Amino acid sequence: MDKIIEAFHDGINKSGRDREKMCMVTDIAYDPEVVDYLGVDLFHTNRGRAIAFATGMKLSNPNLILAVFIGDMATLGGNHFVHAARRNMDLFVVCVNDFRYRKVAAQETPGDFSRLEFSSYCSIEQPLNLPHLARSNGAVYVARWTALHHEDLINSMAEALPQAGFKLIEVISPKPELLEFFYLNSEIKHGEDTAKVGIEEDKKIVVGKFVERERETFIDAYNKQHYKVLGDKFIKIAAE
Amino acid sequence: MNGNQACAEGSLAAGCRFLGFYPIQPCFEIVQHFADRCVDVDGTFIQMEDEISALAAVLGASWAGKKAMTVTSGPGFSLMMEHVGLGVMLETPCVIIESQRFGPSEGYPTQAGSGDVMQSRWGSHGDYEIITLSPNCPQEMFDLTVRAFNLSERYRLPVVVLADKAVGSMVEAVIIPKAEDLRLKKRKRYSGPKGKYLPYEYDKDLVPWMVKAGQGYRFHVTGLTHDEKGYPVMNAKCQEWNVHRIINKVRLFSDDIIDYEEGYTEDAEVLVVCYGSVSRAAVRAVRQVRKEGIRAGFFRLKTLWPFPEQRILELARQVRTIIVPEMNYGQAFLEVDRCSRGKAETIFVHQDFPKVRSGVDIINAIRKADVKA
Repeated sequence: MDKIIEAFHDGINKSGRDREKMCMVTDIAYDPEVVDYLGVDLFHTNRGRAIAFATGMKLSNPNLILAVFIGDMATLGGNHFVHAARRNMDLFVVCVNDFRYRKVAAQETPGDFSRLEFSSYCSIEQPLNLPHLARSNGAVYVARWTALHHEDLINSMAEALPQAGFKLIEVISPKPELLEFFYLNSEIKHGEDTAKVGIEEDKKIVVGKFVERERETFIDAYNKQHYKVLGDKFIKIAAE
Repeated sequence: MNGNQACAEGSLAAGCRFLGFYPIQPCFEIVQHFADRCVDVDGTFIQMEDEISALAAVLGASWAGKKAMTVTSGPGFSLMMEHVGLGVMLETPCVIIESQRFGPSEGYPTQAGSGDVMQSRWGSHGDYEIITLSPNCPQEMFDLTVRAFNLSERYRLPVVVLADKAVGSMVEAVIIPKAEDLRLKKRKRYSGPKGKYLPYEYDKDLVPWMVKAGQGYRFHVTGLTHDEKGYPVMNAKCQEWNVHRIINKVRLFSDDIIDYEEGYTEDAEVLVVCYGSVSRAAVRAVRQVRKEGIRAGFFRLKTLWPFPEQRILELARQVRTIIVPEMNYGQAFLEVDRCSRGKAETIFVHQDFPKVRSGVDIINAIRKADVKA
């Protein structure tokens, strides 16, 4: 986790985005002390609801740069994730996939494929293919790395942050003693079809940048439609 | 105009510039009117994917600097409960307009009810205090919506306007005051140096100073039990410091919040305690029985929560019988019964909407109470 925050710190520097305008919205699994040195405002919201909270913030003040860090996203926040991607809300979303709810170590998440070794009983469920879900719903930037692909992660964050629209970076970050195992059992395939990047037993984890494209954001569409109907009477939502 | 339109106008007059919603009846007209009118000012609206995210977006919008509200009805209000708790814990000003309908679950969407009185008070888990207002006419839909924004800004918490389908679709003349005549409360803003800001430091009024997000204050807020820096701290001392204050900031100032209307109470022997659309029939019933020489009075609640405990007790000492007509099976009645501490007999009168118009049940209840004496 600290590694990812460190990458985010360097990613912001590299992207040249203004920290003062940046707000980090997370669910309960993040310690404020860890992100303190980032120098951004932090909103610790209900589990899984960070994307919805950030949507309101962005529409209320389009100047804000919203970074959403979540772990519960695929379950409680699944619907918010799908709809934010569909609307193409201007959010930078980092999903830290540790296959576990970090603070309650024995519980499964939908990203789980624990037929490996860290569960007494096997998970019988198919893990969720988050990059494919994001891509099929219209995200403009989709990438996946493990926490040990440090430089790649920094570059990916720096690349995604300035783009307009819904950006997803999935970071595979299980417990520390397994980090190296996942790092060694991954292969980089940029531009890979996201339908083929699902995490499966006995297969290498595909990492890399899968999607980069342009699409009209929610705010642009909102402004365009209202301007079309109302003309100059309409006050646009716009960053200063 | 009707109550729903008056409510939308009230929110805009109060400075609301963000609406997050998920469509539901019988209050969708508020959304339509707001959406049509908010483009004249710099308002924004968004249809979210459900009511959970609608209130989450409203909380986010409030932190980003706009006055914000959401509009819903019973089933949506149930979904919003986790964010009512978050709003209380983060101390976020926002307004929830709830147009009540009849019955649990999906119930009877086009029928007015008032079954959400207790839900608005106790719906979210944990201990908290909340403010709930109850309008009974389109003019009050306007006035109490403005007041709801003022209270939410003053006390930094979600305020519920508990309307119902009948008040929403009722058409009456509404007087909208000039903008300069409206008294609007401003959010308590922090203006000190950036490095010294503590998000939960407070003074005499127990309300912390607030800043807008994204201005370099580098602050943290959390729904976990927190200290004045906004960091989660899990110990009994901090829990007491945190939660006791968010309760006291309403309890200690409840006299400033509570608002009610009284009529004929000076010499009343039978008192009718009422609120919302039922109160219209109740007040009419009291006037009618007065003509028959029965000494009846009415007490109309404009704020349901906090409840006017003191005044109810004073009146219970004075009158013989208290009648509580409601469009539910007894909710505010329980509170009246508790507050009267056995000093007066309390009688509940169930109303459903078609009967409310005539007020005949209330008149009969008053007559019966009078005869018994």
